[in-house]
Amino acid sequence: MASRGKSLIGKVPLVILQLAIAFLVLAPFFWMLSVSLKPANEPFAIPARLWPDNPTLENYILAFRPEFRRYFLNSIIVSGATVLITVPLALLAAYSLTRYQFRILSVFLAAVILAQFFPAGAMIIPIYKMVKAANLLDTYASLIIAYITVTLPVAIWMLRGFLTRVPKTLEEAAAIDGARPLRAFFDIVIPLARPGIVATTVFVLIVTWQEFLFALSFTSTKEMRTLPVGMNDYIGQYGIRYGELMASSVMVSLPVIVIFFFLQRQFVSGLTAGAVKG
Amino acid sequence: MASVTLKSVSKRWGSVTAVDDVSLDIADGEFMVLLGPSGCGKTTTMRMVAGLDDPSEGDILIGDRVVNDLAPGDRDLAMVFQNYGLYPHMTVAENIGYPLKVARVGKAERTERVRAAAARVELEAYLERKPQALSGGQRQRVALARAIVRTPRLFLMDEPLSNLDAKLRVSMRAQLKHLQHELATTTIYVTHDQVEAMTLADRVAVMSKGKLQQVGAPLDIYNRPANVFVAGFLGNPSMNLIAAQAEGGRLIHAAFSLPADTVRPGKVFVGQRPEDMKVTEPEKGDFRGEVFSAELLGDAALITVRLNGDLVAVKAPKDVRARMGDVVGVSFDPAMLHLFDGQSGERLADRNGEAGKVTPFPQARGERHP
Repeated sequence: MASRGKSLIGKVPLVILQLAIAFLVLAPFFWMLSVSLKPANEPFAIPARLWPDNPTLENYILAFRPEFRRYFLNSIIVSGATVLITVPLALLAAYSLTRYQFRILSVFLAAVILAQFFPAGAMIIPIYKMVKAANLLDTYASLIIAYITVTLPVAIWMLRGFLTRVPKTLEEAAAIDGARPLRAFFDIVIPLARPGIVATTVFVLIVTWQEFLFALSFTSTKEMRTLPVGMNDYIGQYGIRYGELMASSVMVSLPVIVIFFFLQRQFVSGLTAGAVKG
Repeated sequence: MASVTLKSVSKRWGSVTAVDDVSLDIADGEFMVLLGPSGCGKTTTMRMVAGLDDPSEGDILIGDRVVNDLAPGDRDLAMVFQNYGLYPHMTVAENIGYPLKVARVGKAERTERVRAAAARVELEAYLERKPQALSGGQRQRVALARAIVRTPRLFLMDEPLSNLDAKLRVSMRAQLKHLQHELATTTIYVTHDQVEAMTLADRVAVMSKGKLQQVGAPLDIYNRPANVFVAGFLGNPSMNLIAAQAEGGRLIHAAFSLPADTVRPGKVFVGQRPEDMKVTEPEKGDFRGEVFSAELLGDAALITVRLNGDLVAVKAPKDVRARMGDVVGVSFDPAMLHLFDGQSGERLADRNGEAGKVTPFPQARGERHP
């Protein structure tokens, strides 16, 4: 039996590793915040300062232009619509895939994952042509359709993992208790799969919120731009306005961080629940 | 209340036959136990009655109505699952009340009936808890309360006690028996535990390999098993079955010979329960053998004796002292011999001339509950 002291010593390398990873992950966030609070002349001051001497919100005021607000709204519309369509669709698809066993379904499931083999860059030209042929360029619909295409397969696979963990006995018990399949789905399956639904929702939200390539390709006017593309505005031909870029980066990241903060418990339990059997 | 009738019911999955041509009449108010080893088709049979699986062939009637095409919820039955099947995200009260909620019973009446059902299984104190916060026995009682809350015509119970520890199983068994007696609701109960079957059942239906082996009152089956499978399956320790030859009115074995006047010549299995046999002085028994093991059971001693290649178990009084390696005599009780055909394994007709496989439920439930 290992003594307590030994197991503590054994943990030291692990803790050091965790701290190192945490530093790698958090350092850019810290730098982003720091730069966003620096006056215009300070980001490149030598020697570099970790934290501004005179923190200022002027970058935020400058960054929060009407265009930015427009991009923000566009991002909310596009991401929101994608989540609202992808998650329910994926839920229904994943449910059928776990509860009904036909050979054709496993073929379908394989096809779903096959779609993920192609990187967005490889698909962008055909999708662009389709969007153009459908007269959807520079519309919300073009982005929403493209995002559903990209997120739906992963969402189906994620939810399928969670739904297989909802014991079939419970639905049978509900059937005996008089519930029709749809009723049992809403009363039993959805509440039990909630961590998975939350995890999937967060995943879809993050993917669409930060998506750049499709958004850049399909939209041409400022009215339709989303945040990731809009932030390009600060990268000009003659210079990059780092203060405002970082200030808007903070504002773009904030909703995701807030959502994650409130859902992290469910998200983590969702992730581990999917991984550990029983 | 309702009777249940299975008419030549079969269930096949591809080339696998899980239930093979089972016909069974269950009387109104009867407690019928489906007994058999795992994989014998007993659970599948029950699931077809429940409507969770569809029969490949045959008809299932509840009352006078063929229910083959009815959804489980429309068959007016309740089921207790082996792993309880409680909804983990609902409280005990919500679990018990769910069938009523689905049936759109008003909230006030629902609360009242949930409370009454919970009181019946002594769960009132736990109504606000979630199933995770309950012990196995308590979960079992929640499942029971959910079954009785809407007074269905039929109870189905799929090994409801198998996940409980031995002591709790005995007390829950008594509670179940009492509850079923009080409610007088027709009950089908699936188990592989022959003690549960013996203690709970009005009649037992023994199944093996998808086929019905014998149906009858527990004591009838115990006393007159229809074939070697039933003989070996019911009873603990199980019946000794010794291959022998019937010849000239006697049963001939290398080690012994017994009179058997009514048996036709041929191969037979001689069966006798351990409690009907006796350990004697080496020279006084029907045969003699070396003691293979001697186990004290408490109320008796189980002495296993070598008989050529076989082992014969004898349940002796607890004061019989036999040590491993001793040579003892063993005697049969000729009045309690069970004889089975050496080929088919079917029971050979004895002096009364009967070897019936299905005995009907003897009396209507009403007579027992005036």
